[in-house]
Amino acid sequence: MISSLANTRDYVAECWQAWNRFWFRPTDPATLSLVRFLAGGMLLYTHLVWSLDLQAFVGPEGWLPVDYMRQIQGQQWSVWSVFFWIKPVWLLWCVHVFALIVFACLMLGLFSRPAAVLSYLLAVSYAHRVSPGAFFGLDKVNCMLALYLMLGPCGARYSLDRIRRFRRGDTSPAMPSTSANVAIRLMQLHLCIIYLFSGLAKLAGENWQAGTAVWWAVANFEYQSLDMTWLANWPVLVALLSHVTVFWELFYCCLVWNRFSRPLVLWLAVGVHGGIAIAMGMITFGLAMIFANLAFLSPATVRRWVDPFAGWGARKLTGAK
Amino acid sequence: MSKKRFESNPTVRPNPPKPSPPQSSSRGGSGLPWHVAWRCLVSLFVALHLTAVFSAPWDLATQSALPPGYMAPQGQPDLPPANSSVWQRPAVTRALRSFFSHYLNLAYLNHGYEFFAPDPAGTHVINYRVTRSDGSTVEGQFPDLKEQWPRLLYHRHMMLAEQTEMMGRESGLHYADYLATLHSGTCRLEWAIHFLLSPQRVLDGTPLDAPSTYQVIASLNGNPRRGASNNASSGELPVVIPGGGR
Repeated sequence: MISSLANTRDYVAECWQAWNRFWFRPTDPATLSLVRFLAGGMLLYTHLVWSLDLQAFVGPEGWLPVDYMRQIQGQQWSVWSVFFWIKPVWLLWCVHVFALIVFACLMLGLFSRPAAVLSYLLAVSYAHRVSPGAFFGLDKVNCMLALYLMLGPCGARYSLDRIRRFRRGDTSPAMPSTSANVAIRLMQLHLCIIYLFSGLAKLAGENWQAGTAVWWAVANFEYQSLDMTWLANWPVLVALLSHVTVFWELFYCCLVWNRFSRPLVLWLAVGVHGGIAIAMGMITFGLAMIFANLAFLSPATVRRWVDPFAGWGARKLTGAK
Repeated sequence: MSKKRFESNPTVRPNPPKPSPPQSSSRGGSGLPWHVAWRCLVSLFVALHLTAVFSAPWDLATQSALPPGYMAPQGQPDLPPANSSVWQRPAVTRALRSFFSHYLNLAYLNHGYEFFAPDPAGTHVINYRVTRSDGSTVEGQFPDLKEQWPRLLYHRHMMLAEQTEMMGRESGLHYADYLATLHSGTCRLEWAIHFLLSPQRVLDGTPLDAPSTYQVIASLNGNPRRGASNNASSGELPVVIPGGGR
Protein backbone atom coordinates (compact mmCIF):
# COMPACT_ATOMS: atom_id res chain seq x y z
CA MET A 1 0.00 0.00 0.00
CA ILE A 2 2.80 2.39 0.99
CA SER A 3 4.77 1.39 -2.09
CA SER A 4 1.75 2.05 -4.28
CA LEU A 5 1.29 5.49 -2.77
CA ALA A 6 4.98 6.26 -3.26
CA ASN A 7 4.80 5.17 -6.90
CA THR A 8 1.78 7.39 -7.47
CA ARG A 9 3.54 10.31 -5.80
CA ASP A 10 6.64 9.75 -7.97
CA TYR A 11 4.47 9.55 -11.07
CA VAL A 12 2.70 12.81 -10.26
CA ALA A 13 6.01 14.49 -9.48
CA GLU A 14 7.48 13.34 -12.80
CA CYS A 15 4.40 14.56 -14.64
CA TRP A 16 4.74 17.96 -12.97
CA GLN A 17 8.42 18.11 -13.92
CA ALA A 18 7.64 17.18 -17.52
CA TRP A 19 4.86 19.78 -17.62
CA ASN A 20 7.29 22.40 -16.31
CA ARG A 21 9.94 21.44 -18.84
CA PHE A 22 7.42 21.59 -21.66
CA TRP A 23 5.91 24.94 -20.77
CA PHE A 24 8.35 26.88 -18.64
CA ARG A 25 11.84 26.07 -19.85
CA PRO A 26 13.22 29.34 -21.24
CA THR A 27 13.85 29.30 -24.96
CA ASP A 28 15.66 31.52 -27.40
CA PRO A 29 13.05 33.92 -28.85
CA ALA A 30 14.39 33.40 -32.39
CA THR A 31 11.45 31.25 -33.52
CA LEU A 32 8.88 33.62 -32.05
CA SER A 33 10.66 36.56 -33.66
CA LEU A 34 10.67 34.90 -37.06
CA VAL A 35 6.96 34.13 -36.78
CA ARG A 36 6.40 37.77 -35.78
CA PHE A 37 8.14 39.05 -38.89
CA LEU A 38 6.24 36.73 -41.24
CA ALA A 39 2.84 36.94 -39.54
CA GLY A 40 3.21 40.72 -39.26
CA GLY A 41 3.89 40.89 -42.99
CA MET A 42 0.83 38.76 -43.68
CA LEU A 43 -1.35 40.90 -41.42
CA LEU A 44 -0.11 44.02 -43.18
CA TYR A 45 -0.81 42.60 -46.64
CA THR A 46 -4.20 41.16 -45.65
CA HIS A 47 -5.38 44.50 -44.36
CA LEU A 48 -3.74 46.53 -47.10
CA VAL A 49 -5.99 44.68 -49.53
CA TRP A 50 -9.07 45.86 -47.59
CA SER A 51 -8.01 49.39 -48.63
CA LEU A 52 -9.04 48.62 -52.20
CA ASP A 53 -12.71 48.43 -51.17
CA LEU A 54 -12.71 49.42 -47.52
CA GLN A 55 -16.16 50.97 -47.27
CA ALA A 56 -17.82 48.08 -49.08
CA PHE A 57 -16.44 45.43 -46.75
CA VAL A 58 -15.87 47.21 -43.45
CA GLY A 59 -17.99 50.37 -43.65
CA PRO A 60 -21.30 50.60 -41.79
CA GLU A 61 -23.42 50.45 -44.96
CA GLY A 62 -21.33 48.13 -47.11
CA TRP A 63 -22.18 44.76 -48.62
CA LEU A 64 -23.51 43.65 -45.27
CA PRO A 65 -24.63 46.54 -43.03
CA VAL A 66 -23.51 46.52 -39.43
CA ASP A 67 -27.08 46.22 -38.12
CA TYR A 68 -27.62 43.07 -40.16
CA MET A 69 -24.26 41.63 -39.11
CA ARG A 70 -25.10 42.18 -35.45
CA GLN A 71 -28.40 40.42 -36.00
CA ILE A 72 -26.92 37.31 -37.63
CA GLN A 73 -24.12 37.22 -35.06
CA GLY A 74 -26.80 36.87 -32.42
CA GLN A 75 -26.36 40.34 -30.86
CA GLN A 76 -23.82 38.83 -28.47
CA TRP A 77 -21.80 41.36 -26.51
CA SER A 78 -18.70 39.20 -26.85
CA VAL A 79 -18.71 39.45 -30.65
CA TRP A 80 -17.03 42.81 -30.85
CA SER A 81 -15.43 45.08 -33.38
CA VAL A 82 -14.47 48.74 -33.37
CA PHE A 83 -16.13 48.90 -36.78
CA PHE A 84 -19.54 48.27 -35.20
CA TRP A 85 -19.39 51.81 -33.80
CA ILE A 86 -17.60 53.72 -36.52
CA LYS A 87 -19.97 55.68 -38.77
CA PRO A 88 -18.10 58.57 -40.50
CA VAL A 89 -15.99 57.59 -43.50
CA TRP A 90 -13.07 59.76 -42.38
CA LEU A 91 -12.94 57.96 -39.05
CA LEU A 92 -13.07 54.58 -40.78
CA TRP A 93 -10.05 55.55 -42.86
CA CYS A 94 -8.21 56.95 -39.84
CA VAL A 95 -8.63 53.68 -37.98
CA HIS A 96 -7.63 51.74 -41.08
CA VAL A 97 -4.45 53.74 -41.63
CA PHE A 98 -3.63 53.39 -37.94
CA ALA A 99 -4.12 49.63 -38.24
CA LEU A 100 -1.79 49.45 -41.24
CA ILE A 101 0.88 51.35 -39.30
CA VAL A 102 0.47 48.97 -36.36
CA PHE A 103 0.80 45.90 -38.60
CA ALA A 104 3.88 47.43 -40.24
CA CYS A 105 5.36 48.03 -36.77
CA LEU A 106 4.70 44.41 -35.87
CA MET A 107 6.39 43.15 -39.00
CA LEU A 108 9.42 45.37 -38.56
CA GLY A 109 9.57 44.81 -34.83
CA LEU A 110 9.16 48.44 -33.83
CA PHE A 111 7.58 48.78 -30.37
CA SER A 112 6.98 45.08 -30.83
CA ARG A 113 5.04 44.19 -27.71
CA PRO A 114 2.48 47.04 -27.85
CA ALA A 115 2.27 46.53 -31.62
CA ALA A 116 1.51 42.85 -31.08
CA VAL A 117 -1.31 43.61 -28.62
CA LEU A 118 -2.81 46.26 -30.90
CA SER A 119 -2.39 44.02 -33.95
CA TYR A 120 -4.37 41.28 -32.30
CA LEU A 121 -7.18 43.62 -31.23
CA LEU A 122 -7.34 45.21 -34.68
CA ALA A 123 -7.17 41.89 -36.53
CA VAL A 124 -10.07 40.56 -34.45
CA SER A 125 -12.00 43.77 -35.13
CA TYR A 126 -11.71 43.32 -38.88
CA ALA A 127 -12.42 39.60 -38.64
CA HIS A 128 -15.61 40.04 -36.60
CA ARG A 129 -16.82 42.75 -39.00
CA VAL A 130 -16.64 40.33 -41.94
CA SER A 131 -17.68 37.08 -40.18
CA PRO A 132 -19.81 35.76 -41.71
CA GLY A 133 -19.55 37.35 -45.09
CA ALA A 134 -16.07 37.68 -46.49
CA PHE A 135 -13.97 35.84 -43.92
CA PHE A 136 -12.11 32.61 -44.48
CA GLY A 137 -9.29 30.53 -43.03
CA LEU A 138 -6.73 33.30 -43.46
CA ASP A 139 -8.48 35.45 -40.85
CA LYS A 140 -8.53 32.60 -38.36
CA VAL A 141 -4.80 31.93 -38.77
CA ASN A 142 -3.90 35.64 -38.71
CA CYS A 143 -5.77 36.15 -35.44
CA MET A 144 -4.37 32.98 -33.93
CA LEU A 145 -0.77 34.02 -34.63
CA ALA A 146 -1.37 37.58 -33.42
CA LEU A 147 -2.90 36.24 -30.21
CA TYR A 148 0.18 34.24 -29.28
CA LEU A 149 2.71 36.78 -30.52
CA MET A 150 1.58 39.25 -27.88
CA LEU A 151 2.32 36.76 -25.10
CA GLY A 152 6.07 36.64 -25.66
CA PRO A 153 9.06 38.86 -26.49
CA CYS A 154 8.37 38.71 -30.21
CA GLY A 155 10.66 41.64 -30.97
CA ALA A 156 13.72 40.23 -29.21
CA ARG A 157 15.32 39.35 -32.54
CA TYR A 158 15.05 40.37 -36.18
CA SER A 159 13.51 43.67 -35.21
CA LEU A 160 14.06 47.41 -35.25
CA ASP A 161 13.68 47.28 -31.48
CA ARG A 162 16.85 45.22 -31.33
CA ILE A 163 18.70 47.68 -33.54
CA ARG A 164 17.50 50.55 -31.36
CA ARG A 165 18.87 48.73 -28.33
CA PHE A 166 22.22 48.34 -30.09
CA ARG A 167 22.28 52.02 -30.92
CA ARG A 168 21.66 52.86 -27.29
CA GLY A 169 24.69 50.77 -26.42
CA ASP A 170 22.83 47.77 -25.10
CA THR A 171 24.76 44.92 -26.69
CA SER A 172 23.51 42.19 -24.40
CA PRO A 173 22.28 39.13 -26.29
CA ALA A 174 18.60 38.27 -26.48
CA MET A 175 18.03 36.19 -23.38
CA PRO A 176 16.17 32.88 -23.35
CA SER A 177 12.61 33.58 -22.34
CA THR A 178 9.92 31.57 -20.58
CA SER A 179 7.11 33.59 -22.08
CA ALA A 180 8.55 32.97 -25.57
CA ASN A 181 8.30 29.27 -24.84
CA VAL A 182 4.71 29.57 -23.60
CA ALA A 183 3.74 31.52 -26.74
CA ILE A 184 5.39 29.00 -29.07
CA ARG A 185 3.89 26.01 -27.22
CA LEU A 186 0.41 27.51 -27.48
CA MET A 187 0.92 28.12 -31.19
CA GLN A 188 2.05 24.52 -31.67
CA LEU A 189 -0.84 23.01 -29.73
CA HIS A 190 -3.40 25.24 -31.41
CA LEU A 191 -2.08 24.10 -34.77
CA CYS A 192 -2.42 20.47 -33.68
CA ILE A 193 -6.07 21.12 -32.76
CA ILE A 194 -6.71 22.77 -36.13
CA TYR A 195 -5.30 19.83 -38.09
CA LEU A 196 -6.98 17.22 -35.91
CA PHE A 197 -10.45 18.63 -36.46
CA SER A 198 -9.80 19.42 -40.09
CA GLY A 199 -8.88 15.76 -40.54
CA LEU A 200 -11.87 14.52 -38.52
CA ALA A 201 -14.22 16.69 -40.59
CA LYS A 202 -12.79 15.22 -43.78
CA LEU A 203 -13.38 11.70 -42.44
CA ALA A 204 -17.11 12.47 -42.59
CA GLY A 205 -16.84 13.24 -46.30
CA GLU A 206 -17.61 10.45 -48.75
CA ASN A 207 -15.22 11.85 -51.33
CA TRP A 208 -12.36 12.06 -48.88
CA GLN A 209 -13.11 8.45 -47.89
CA ALA A 210 -13.21 7.37 -51.53
CA GLY A 211 -10.02 9.25 -52.33
CA THR A 212 -11.56 11.52 -54.96
CA ALA A 213 -11.76 14.76 -52.96
CA VAL A 214 -8.59 16.30 -54.37
CA TRP A 215 -10.11 16.08 -57.84
CA TRP A 216 -13.22 18.01 -56.75
CA ALA A 217 -10.97 20.62 -55.14
CA VAL A 218 -8.80 21.20 -58.21
CA ALA A 219 -11.78 21.01 -60.59
CA ASN A 220 -13.34 24.03 -58.92
CA PHE A 221 -13.11 26.75 -61.54
CA GLU A 222 -13.55 29.65 -59.12
CA TYR A 223 -10.67 28.48 -56.93
CA GLN A 224 -8.41 27.39 -59.75
CA SER A 225 -5.20 29.34 -60.27
CA LEU A 226 -3.28 26.55 -61.98
CA ASP A 227 -4.89 24.11 -64.37
CA MET A 228 -4.63 20.74 -62.66
CA THR A 229 -7.30 18.99 -64.74
CA TRP A 230 -4.59 16.72 -66.15
CA LEU A 231 -5.17 14.84 -62.89
CA ALA A 232 -8.30 13.42 -64.58
CA ASN A 233 -5.92 10.96 -66.23
CA TRP A 234 -4.33 10.01 -62.92
CA PRO A 235 -7.05 8.71 -60.57
CA VAL A 236 -4.55 6.77 -58.48
CA LEU A 237 -2.50 9.92 -57.89
CA VAL A 238 -5.68 11.80 -56.92
CA ALA A 239 -6.54 9.03 -54.47
CA LEU A 240 -3.05 9.02 -52.97
CA LEU A 241 -3.08 12.79 -52.52
CA SER A 242 -6.52 12.65 -50.91
CA HIS A 243 -5.64 9.84 -48.52
CA VAL A 244 -2.26 11.33 -47.59
CA THR A 245 -3.94 14.67 -46.83
CA VAL A 246 -6.45 13.06 -44.46
CA PHE A 247 -3.90 10.88 -42.67
CA TRP A 248 -1.40 13.73 -42.43
CA GLU A 249 -4.00 16.00 -40.83
CA LEU A 250 -5.27 13.33 -38.47
CA PHE A 251 -1.86 12.28 -37.19
CA TYR A 252 -0.11 15.65 -37.33
CA CYS A 253 -0.82 16.14 -33.61
CA CYS A 254 1.14 12.97 -32.76
CA LEU A 255 3.90 12.83 -35.36
CA VAL A 256 5.02 16.45 -35.19
CA TRP A 257 6.40 15.99 -31.66
CA ASN A 258 8.81 13.23 -32.60
CA ARG A 259 12.12 14.54 -33.85
CA PHE A 260 12.38 11.84 -36.51
CA SER A 261 8.90 12.28 -37.99
CA ARG A 262 8.77 16.07 -37.53
CA PRO A 263 10.70 16.95 -40.72
CA LEU A 264 8.40 14.71 -42.78
CA VAL A 265 5.29 16.21 -41.21
CA LEU A 266 6.50 19.78 -41.73
CA TRP A 267 7.58 19.18 -45.32
CA LEU A 268 4.16 17.67 -45.96
CA ALA A 269 2.67 20.87 -44.55
CA VAL A 270 4.75 22.85 -47.04
CA GLY A 271 3.55 20.53 -49.82
CA VAL A 272 -0.13 20.64 -48.91
CA HIS A 273 -0.31 24.37 -48.20
CA GLY A 274 2.04 25.20 -51.06
CA GLY A 275 -0.24 23.20 -53.35
CA ILE A 276 -3.28 25.10 -52.10
CA ALA A 277 -1.42 28.37 -52.62
CA ILE A 278 -0.26 27.63 -56.14
CA ALA A 279 -3.09 25.55 -57.59
CA MET A 280 -6.11 26.91 -55.73
CA GLY A 281 -5.28 30.58 -55.63
CA MET A 282 -5.16 30.87 -51.86
CA ILE A 283 -1.60 32.12 -51.68
CA THR A 284 -2.19 34.11 -48.51
CA PHE A 285 -3.89 31.28 -46.63
CA GLY A 286 -1.30 28.75 -47.77
CA LEU A 287 1.56 30.99 -46.67
CA ALA A 288 -0.09 31.82 -43.34
CA MET A 289 -0.40 28.13 -42.52
CA ILE A 290 3.23 27.54 -43.49
CA PHE A 291 4.25 30.44 -41.23
CA ALA A 292 2.28 28.87 -38.38
CA ASN A 293 4.09 25.56 -38.96
CA LEU A 294 7.42 27.34 -38.49
CA ALA A 295 6.57 27.38 -34.77
CA PHE A 296 7.93 23.83 -34.74
CA LEU A 297 11.40 24.89 -35.91
CA SER A 298 13.99 24.94 -33.17
CA PRO A 299 15.54 28.34 -32.36
CA ALA A 300 18.95 26.95 -33.39
CA THR A 301 17.61 26.07 -36.85
CA VAL A 302 15.96 29.46 -37.19
CA ARG A 303 19.15 31.25 -36.23
CA ARG A 304 21.25 29.18 -38.59
CA TRP A 305 19.05 30.22 -41.53
CA VAL A 306 17.88 33.70 -40.58
CA ASP A 307 20.79 35.27 -38.69
CA PRO A 308 22.94 35.83 -41.80
CA PHE A 309 20.11 37.77 -43.47
CA ALA A 310 19.19 39.61 -40.29
CA GLY A 311 22.84 40.55 -39.71
CA TRP A 312 23.14 41.83 -43.26
CA GLY A 313 19.95 43.88 -42.85
CA ALA A 314 21.07 45.27 -39.50
CA ARG A 315 24.44 46.32 -40.89
CA LYS A 316 22.73 48.06 -43.80
CA LEU A 317 20.42 49.91 -41.44
CA THR A 318 23.09 50.96 -38.98
CA GLY A 319 25.90 51.53 -41.45
CA ALA A 320 28.16 49.18 -39.51
CA LYS A 321 30.76 47.19 -41.45
CA MET B 1 29.46 50.23 -34.64
CA SER B 2 31.47 47.10 -34.32
CA LYS B 3 30.57 44.09 -36.39
CA LYS B 4 30.80 41.81 -33.38
CA ARG B 5 28.04 43.75 -31.70
CA PHE B 6 25.51 41.90 -33.84
CA GLU B 7 24.76 38.40 -32.75
CA SER B 8 23.64 37.75 -36.27
CA ASN B 9 27.15 38.24 -37.63
CA PRO B 10 27.28 35.89 -40.65
CA THR B 11 30.97 35.18 -40.16
CA VAL B 12 30.49 33.86 -36.67
CA ARG B 13 28.40 30.78 -36.11
CA PRO B 14 25.86 31.77 -33.48
CA ASN B 15 25.75 29.75 -30.33
CA PRO B 16 22.17 29.26 -29.20
CA PRO B 17 21.89 30.46 -25.62
CA LYS B 18 21.54 27.77 -23.05
CA PRO B 19 18.74 27.63 -20.51
CA SER B 20 19.33 29.64 -17.39
CA PRO B 21 21.11 27.80 -14.58
CA PRO B 22 19.13 26.57 -11.58
CA GLN B 23 18.11 29.35 -9.27
CA SER B 24 17.16 29.72 -5.68
CA SER B 25 14.67 27.63 -3.80
CA SER B 26 12.18 30.48 -4.03
CA ARG B 27 11.58 29.21 -7.57
CA GLY B 28 10.48 25.90 -6.17
CA GLY B 29 13.90 24.31 -6.64
CA SER B 30 13.12 23.47 -10.25
CA GLY B 31 15.75 25.65 -11.89
CA LEU B 32 13.04 27.45 -13.82
CA PRO B 33 12.91 31.23 -13.70
CA TRP B 34 9.24 31.60 -12.83
CA HIS B 35 8.02 31.15 -9.29
CA VAL B 36 5.98 28.02 -8.70
CA ALA B 37 2.86 30.03 -7.86
CA TRP B 38 3.13 31.96 -11.11
CA ARG B 39 3.67 28.70 -13.02
CA CYS B 40 0.56 27.20 -11.39
CA LEU B 41 -1.48 30.22 -12.39
CA VAL B 42 -0.22 30.19 -15.95
CA SER B 43 -0.77 26.42 -16.11
CA LEU B 44 -4.38 26.91 -15.10
CA PHE B 45 -4.91 29.55 -17.75
CA VAL B 46 -3.17 27.45 -20.41
CA ALA B 47 -5.33 24.43 -19.58
CA LEU B 48 -8.52 26.48 -19.69
CA HIS B 49 -7.50 28.21 -22.91
CA LEU B 50 -6.64 24.98 -24.69
CA THR B 51 -9.85 23.36 -23.49
CA ALA B 52 -11.75 26.32 -24.94
CA VAL B 53 -9.85 26.14 -28.24
CA PHE B 54 -10.56 22.40 -28.40
CA SER B 55 -14.21 22.70 -27.45
CA ALA B 56 -15.24 24.87 -30.42
CA PRO B 57 -14.31 22.53 -33.29
CA TRP B 58 -15.27 19.51 -31.18
CA ASP B 59 -18.78 20.81 -30.70
CA LEU B 60 -19.13 21.87 -34.32
CA ALA B 61 -18.01 18.38 -35.39
CA THR B 62 -20.70 16.65 -33.38
CA GLN B 63 -24.37 16.31 -34.19
CA SER B 64 -27.45 15.14 -32.36
CA ALA B 65 -28.20 11.50 -33.06
CA LEU B 66 -31.25 9.26 -33.08
CA PRO B 67 -31.25 6.10 -30.94
CA PRO B 68 -29.90 3.03 -32.78
CA GLY B 69 -32.63 1.39 -34.82
CA TYR B 70 -35.00 4.31 -34.42
CA MET B 71 -38.26 3.82 -36.32
CA ALA B 72 -40.59 6.74 -36.81
CA PRO B 73 -44.14 6.11 -35.51
CA GLN B 74 -46.66 5.37 -38.23
CA GLY B 75 -47.92 8.48 -39.99
CA GLN B 76 -44.99 10.55 -38.74
CA PRO B 77 -42.06 11.84 -40.82
CA ASP B 78 -38.88 9.73 -40.84
CA LEU B 79 -37.04 12.30 -38.76
CA PRO B 80 -38.58 13.77 -35.59
CA PRO B 81 -38.68 17.57 -35.19
CA ALA B 82 -35.46 19.23 -34.09
CA ASN B 83 -36.87 19.97 -30.63
CA SER B 84 -38.04 16.41 -30.05
CA SER B 85 -36.74 14.67 -26.96
CA VAL B 86 -35.93 11.62 -29.12
CA TRP B 87 -32.79 13.37 -30.33
CA GLN B 88 -29.72 12.55 -28.23
CA ARG B 89 -27.67 15.68 -27.91
CA PRO B 90 -23.89 15.60 -27.35
CA ALA B 91 -24.05 16.84 -23.77
CA VAL B 92 -20.36 17.35 -23.04
CA THR B 93 -19.41 19.18 -26.23
CA ARG B 94 -22.46 21.44 -26.11
CA ALA B 95 -21.88 22.26 -22.44
CA LEU B 96 -18.17 22.97 -22.93
CA ARG B 97 -18.67 25.26 -25.90
CA SER B 98 -21.52 26.99 -24.18
CA PHE B 99 -19.36 27.53 -21.07
CA PHE B 100 -16.54 29.05 -23.11
CA SER B 101 -18.71 30.78 -25.72
CA HIS B 102 -17.99 34.37 -24.70
CA TYR B 103 -14.28 33.73 -24.31
CA LEU B 104 -14.23 32.07 -27.74
CA ASN B 105 -16.09 35.00 -29.25
CA LEU B 106 -13.95 37.66 -27.61
CA ALA B 107 -10.75 36.04 -28.81
CA TYR B 108 -12.09 35.03 -32.26
CA LEU B 109 -11.54 31.35 -31.58
CA ASN B 110 -15.06 30.06 -32.24
CA HIS B 111 -14.19 28.02 -35.32
CA GLY B 112 -14.69 24.54 -36.70
CA TYR B 113 -11.59 24.41 -38.94
CA GLU B 114 -13.50 22.34 -41.50
CA PHE B 115 -11.30 23.22 -44.47
CA PHE B 116 -12.68 21.61 -47.66
CA ALA B 117 -14.79 19.37 -45.46
CA PRO B 118 -16.79 17.25 -45.29
CA ASP B 119 -16.37 17.30 -49.11
CA PRO B 120 -15.20 19.92 -51.59
CA ALA B 121 -18.33 21.38 -53.17
CA GLY B 122 -19.33 23.64 -56.03
CA THR B 123 -19.07 27.37 -55.50
CA HIS B 124 -21.62 30.13 -55.84
CA VAL B 125 -21.53 33.02 -58.27
CA ILE B 126 -23.59 36.19 -58.18
CA ASN B 127 -24.49 38.07 -61.38
CA TYR B 128 -26.12 41.46 -61.21
CA ARG B 129 -27.57 44.14 -63.41
CA VAL B 130 -28.26 47.65 -62.14
CA THR B 131 -30.65 49.74 -64.25
CA ARG B 132 -30.48 53.49 -63.78
CA SER B 133 -33.35 55.92 -64.26
CA ASP B 134 -31.91 56.99 -67.64
CA GLY B 135 -32.06 53.41 -68.86
CA SER B 136 -28.31 52.75 -68.74
CA THR B 137 -27.19 49.56 -67.09
CA VAL B 138 -24.24 48.32 -65.11
CA GLU B 139 -23.58 44.60 -65.21
CA GLY B 140 -21.15 42.58 -63.21
CA GLN B 141 -20.39 39.41 -61.37
CA PHE B 142 -18.59 38.31 -58.27
CA PRO B 143 -16.24 36.68 -57.97
CA ASP B 144 -14.66 37.93 -61.19
CA LEU B 145 -10.94 37.56 -61.81
CA LYS B 146 -10.96 40.35 -64.38
CA GLU B 147 -12.43 42.92 -62.01
CA GLN B 148 -11.19 41.89 -58.59
CA TRP B 149 -7.44 42.01 -58.14
CA PRO B 150 -5.25 41.06 -56.31
CA ARG B 151 -6.20 37.50 -55.70
CA LEU B 152 -7.06 38.12 -52.06
CA LEU B 153 -9.66 40.74 -53.04
CA TYR B 154 -11.10 38.25 -55.53
CA HIS B 155 -11.22 35.66 -52.78
CA ARG B 156 -13.07 38.06 -50.48
CA HIS B 157 -15.72 38.51 -53.18
CA MET B 158 -15.86 34.76 -53.66
CA MET B 159 -16.56 34.36 -49.95
CA LEU B 160 -19.36 36.94 -50.19
CA ALA B 161 -21.06 34.79 -52.81
CA GLU B 162 -20.21 31.57 -51.00
CA GLN B 163 -21.36 32.50 -47.52
CA THR B 164 -24.75 33.62 -48.77
CA GLU B 165 -25.53 29.94 -48.49
CA MET B 166 -24.82 30.12 -44.77
CA MET B 167 -26.53 33.44 -44.13
CA GLY B 168 -29.62 32.91 -46.27
CA ARG B 169 -31.73 34.99 -48.59
CA GLU B 170 -31.54 38.23 -46.65
CA SER B 171 -27.81 38.57 -47.25
CA GLY B 172 -28.50 38.45 -51.00
CA LEU B 173 -31.02 41.24 -50.55
CA HIS B 174 -28.39 43.34 -48.83
CA TYR B 175 -25.97 42.77 -51.71
CA ALA B 176 -28.67 43.86 -54.16
CA ASP B 177 -29.45 46.98 -52.12
CA TYR B 178 -25.77 47.82 -51.82
CA LEU B 179 -25.24 47.54 -55.59
CA ALA B 180 -28.38 49.58 -56.25
CA THR B 181 -27.08 52.28 -53.90
CA LEU B 182 -23.58 52.17 -55.38
CA HIS B 183 -24.76 52.58 -58.97
CA SER B 184 -27.89 54.68 -58.24
CA GLY B 185 -30.44 52.41 -59.83
CA THR B 186 -32.47 49.29 -59.24
CA CYS B 187 -30.64 46.01 -59.02
CA ARG B 188 -31.55 42.58 -60.30
CA LEU B 189 -29.32 39.96 -58.80
CA GLU B 190 -29.02 36.30 -59.79
CA TRP B 191 -27.51 33.81 -57.45
CA ALA B 192 -26.12 30.73 -59.19
CA ILE B 193 -24.38 27.57 -58.13
CA HIS B 194 -21.48 26.32 -60.21
CA PHE B 195 -21.44 22.54 -60.30
CA LEU B 196 -18.21 20.60 -60.52
CA LEU B 197 -17.36 18.31 -63.41
CA SER B 198 -16.32 14.69 -63.02
CA PRO B 199 -12.95 13.60 -64.41
CA GLN B 200 -14.74 11.79 -67.22
CA ARG B 201 -16.61 14.89 -68.36
CA VAL B 202 -13.36 16.87 -68.36
CA LEU B 203 -11.69 14.13 -70.40
CA ASP B 204 -14.67 14.30 -72.78
CA GLY B 205 -13.78 17.93 -73.41
CA THR B 206 -16.29 19.86 -71.29
CA PRO B 207 -14.64 23.02 -69.96
CA LEU B 208 -14.91 23.67 -66.21
CA ASP B 209 -16.84 26.88 -66.87
CA ALA B 210 -19.27 25.49 -69.43
CA PRO B 211 -22.61 27.36 -69.25
CA SER B 212 -24.37 24.08 -68.47
CA THR B 213 -22.47 23.86 -65.18
CA TYR B 214 -24.17 26.99 -63.77
CA GLN B 215 -27.67 26.86 -62.35
CA VAL B 216 -29.52 29.91 -61.12
CA ILE B 217 -31.03 29.16 -57.74
CA ALA B 218 -32.49 32.53 -56.81
CA SER B 219 -33.20 35.98 -58.22
CA LEU B 220 -33.46 39.04 -56.01
CA ASN B 221 -34.29 42.73 -56.48
CA GLY B 222 -32.61 45.60 -54.70
CA ASN B 223 -33.28 49.34 -54.33
CA PRO B 224 -31.01 52.11 -53.12
CA ARG B 225 -30.78 52.40 -49.36
CA ARG B 226 -32.17 55.56 -47.81
CA GLY B 227 -29.62 57.08 -45.46
CA ALA B 228 -28.46 54.64 -42.87
CA SER B 229 -31.68 52.65 -42.91
CA ASN B 230 -32.02 49.65 -45.11
CA ASN B 231 -35.20 48.74 -46.92
CA ALA B 232 -35.14 45.07 -47.70
CA SER B 233 -36.64 44.47 -51.13
CA SER B 234 -38.71 41.61 -52.29
CA GLY B 235 -37.72 39.07 -54.88
CA GLU B 236 -38.46 35.58 -55.98
CA LEU B 237 -38.09 33.00 -53.27
CA PRO B 238 -34.85 31.10 -53.48
CA VAL B 239 -34.85 27.37 -53.90
CA VAL B 240 -33.24 25.25 -51.23
CA ILE B 241 -29.54 24.92 -51.91
CA PRO B 242 -28.33 21.35 -52.25
CA GLY B 243 -25.79 20.50 -49.62
CA GLY B 244 -26.65 23.50 -47.49
CA GLY B 245 -25.87 22.99 -43.86
CA ARG B 246 -23.58 24.03 -41.09
